[in-house]
Amino acid sequence: MTPATTTPDIELALPARAANIAVVRHAFGALGEAFAVEEQILSNIRLAVTEACTNVVVHAYPDGQEGLLEVLATLQEEKLVVVVRDGGPGIGPRPDSPGLGLGLPLIVSLTESVQLGRDEDERTEVRMTFPLSSASS
Amino acid sequence: MTSTPVQSEPAAENSVSLRLANGPLAGPVLSRVVSMVLVRADCPMNRLDDAMILCDALSAHSPAHANDGHVAFAVVTDGRGIELRVGELSEQGAAKLLADAAVPGVGNVLERLSDELRIESSSTEHSREELVLTVRFG
Repeated sequence: MTPATTTPDIELALPARAANIAVVRHAFGALGEAFAVEEQILSNIRLAVTEACTNVVVHAYPDGQEGLLEVLATLQEEKLVVVVRDGGPGIGPRPDSPGLGLGLPLIVSLTESVQLGRDEDERTEVRMTFPLSSASS
Repeated sequence: MTSTPVQSEPAAENSVSLRLANGPLAGPVLSRVVSMVLVRADCPMNRLDDAMILCDALSAHSPAHANDGHVAFAVVTDGRGIELRVGELSEQGAAKLLADAAVPGVGNVLERLSDELRIESSSTEHSREELVLTVRFG
């Protein structure tokens, strides 16, 4: 996957725990505070980021092992690019998944584009692009 | 009916690393992350309020002393308090940031609201020194 060429505006790194999903979700509310992003767009961003972070917490690391959840956000003109990444083995089919498997389809439906892959350090990442106004979508 | 007071265990240690570009997002993101971490750590309201004022002061003054347009924050809580580290500051940036937080007639906001405050040398790639603030609540 091609790394972002610009330095992110927000970089967050925290333990991949369920409680910390709320920390990330709340942080993204700052977009509404700082840029008056439309409520529906902000809601889509928060939901998609929450889903991606939930996938990290549930699937990235074996039970009993705590790893890192990293979230990077970059403003690019009228777009927001959010990368959620982890040190897990990658995204693939999981027959024993405790979830309904709706996370990724939901993310796809809420974003302008999604890329799944690995970064230059072999970390698993979900790269999501969102429009920041309905005019730019 | 009688009730037995519940003795809750201190919240588990949590830590968040944040690196924020100077700009309109920095203040709101810092405040939101710190407030959520503190709420999860069962921080009482008066100390949460103090921490929010500290965050406001840090986000207002730290951009002027940033090394390369970004400021790094490390937030660590153990259920008894929070340690907030501010890094990626320019030469003497930590001392200057501290001095900037003085408000006429009030005093220095960072000194008054934190329980402990110090400047530590740092050997990280982007930072020579860090401003370290502690707020205790447990």
